[in-house]
Amino acid sequence: MSRPPASLQTRLIAASAVLALLVIGVFVALVLAVSAARTATNEEARSKNVTTSALQLEKLVLDLEAGVRGYVLTGNTSFLQPYTTAKQQLPEAKANFVDLTKGEPGQHERAQLITTSIDQYMNEYAKPVLLIAQESLGAAKDAAKNEGTFRIDQLQRDFRSFIQSEDVLAASHKESADTKSRHAIELGVAGLAGSTILILLFGLYLSRMIARPVREAADGASLLAAGDLSLRLSERGPGEVGELTRSFNSMAERLQGTRRELEEQNAQLRESERLKSDLVNTVSHELRTPLSGVLGFTKLLLTRDFDSETRRHYLGIIDAQARRLAELIDDFLDVRRIEEGRFERAQELVDMATLLREEAQLYSLQSPKHELAVEVGPKAIPVLGNPDRLRQVIGNLISNAIKYSPQGGLVQISAEAENGSVRVEVRDEGMGIPLTQQHQIFTKFFRGDAAASGITGTGLGLAVSRDIVESHGGRIGFTSAEGEGTTFFVELPGANGGSEEQGQGPDQS
Amino acid sequence: MESRKTVLICDDEPALRELIRASVDDGYIFAEAGDGVMALDLAREVSPDVIILDLMLPRLSGLEVLARMNDDEELRKVPVIVITAWNETREDVLAAGAADFVTKPFEPDRLRQAVRAAAGT
Repeated sequence: MSRPPASLQTRLIAASAVLALLVIGVFVALVLAVSAARTATNEEARSKNVTTSALQLEKLVLDLEAGVRGYVLTGNTSFLQPYTTAKQQLPEAKANFVDLTKGEPGQHERAQLITTSIDQYMNEYAKPVLLIAQESLGAAKDAAKNEGTFRIDQLQRDFRSFIQSEDVLAASHKESADTKSRHAIELGVAGLAGSTILILLFGLYLSRMIARPVREAADGASLLAAGDLSLRLSERGPGEVGELTRSFNSMAERLQGTRRELEEQNAQLRESERLKSDLVNTVSHELRTPLSGVLGFTKLLLTRDFDSETRRHYLGIIDAQARRLAELIDDFLDVRRIEEGRFERAQELVDMATLLREEAQLYSLQSPKHELAVEVGPKAIPVLGNPDRLRQVIGNLISNAIKYSPQGGLVQISAEAENGSVRVEVRDEGMGIPLTQQHQIFTKFFRGDAAASGITGTGLGLAVSRDIVESHGGRIGFTSAEGEGTTFFVELPGANGGSEEQGQGPDQS
Repeated sequence: MESRKTVLICDDEPALRELIRASVDDGYIFAEAGDGVMALDLAREVSPDVIILDLMLPRLSGLEVLARMNDDEELRKVPVIVITAWNETREDVLAAGAADFVTKPFEPDRLRQAVRAAAGT
């Protein structure tokens, strides 16, 4: 089961939450440790108080005994002073002592035993001995010597034992306090170090995962703005950052594609501009040459005297040059029609066999150097279309075959119908088309080396022919080898004699 | 008795060569070339007194023909009258060593005077 990578926002929130929880945990542990250390310190202080109060109580007991013994031994009541003072202080000291030990059950029990022993000392020894002393100092002296010494020794041992226990307790409390405060410090330092490291790691993560890709994207955008469209970012990075780099890349991709398209269009426009500018030169030259003939001979005829034969001859030249001018203008007009996309779409049955024969005859008169051979069978080869336009195509191909084989030679013109289509071929033995120019020859105004070779024309014939053929649903093409000749072919959809009425009747308008 | 002058006409269009011939007239001997290479060959062969040169020539352009004639000891002396459809090359043509310059379409009388001036007749 694969999940999509968590979004950047989710990751940041999760990481911040983890970090916050960790800091809170460290803080709580620290507070607990500090309060434990304080409790232990309090315990230690209490222990000291307990010991102090035990020592005070013991001193009171010793004062009691000293008073009793002094009086018994001397009989002088002034020696009773310590006893009296201690007896007054005793109840409070006892209560205080017992009270202080309440936190420690063992010590509390011992303290109670001690106070009981003190009470017993008072009730069973000190008070009776003082009563006895009022009767007989001797008897009291004996009792004090035996009983008093014994009880005091017993009490002193009890105190000693109690204080020792309390010392042990105090020591353990002290050690516990030390341990706990050490732990608190350790925990604090460790927590601080851990948090610092985690925050640094988090910062590093932010920098690596977000800041760096964003920086790269920003730099990339600057470069892109400066025109370097080939730039791509590495598509790493979590969630939104990855999305950003991917969007950036696809944007750059589209920009580059658009620029490439624009550059191509621009190149096409420049090429078309260049061709148009060439046309201006071509028109200028192509029109001026026949025009020079017309104007020159006209001027001669108007200004000088010639015999009638010469006049007739010059008029013939004027006529031919004027016709050439008219043809050139027709070609230019055809280009206009191509550019505006309008051609007469007359649909008539045209017999290509007849058309080829007529055109071949027409052109054979123009060039005695060429032999025009028409190879068509006796049967009609019908196609549906505009007869004038089809005639223009065939005439153009034959004219090209003649013009581009200036040494003369055979021009073979053939047509045959097969599989419902008609294929016309015009083959010459001329100069052929150089390989490097073959892709351009249907381009308007393209004339190859024709101008330099002195071959007349406008560079429009093939462009016009292709448009006519394609508007008839056919195609035009060629095979050529430089120096060996060229074969142009035209393929048109064939028309059966009786199929014309299927929605495509002759258009006489 | 002065011998007849020879004029070499270089133009790729036969009708224009005939027009030039008819315009100049005056009983010269004419030689005609249809391209630049032929123009140079004929110039060496017939040693013309004047050359009329169209700049738009096949095989070798008119300017190239002019340049090669300038490199030739004999041909350099022959005055050349240039005919072209482009009058903007006038400076180039005169700098290239042409004696005179006529634009197409030209006045027959203007050309005849140019040839007379060049031939010294």
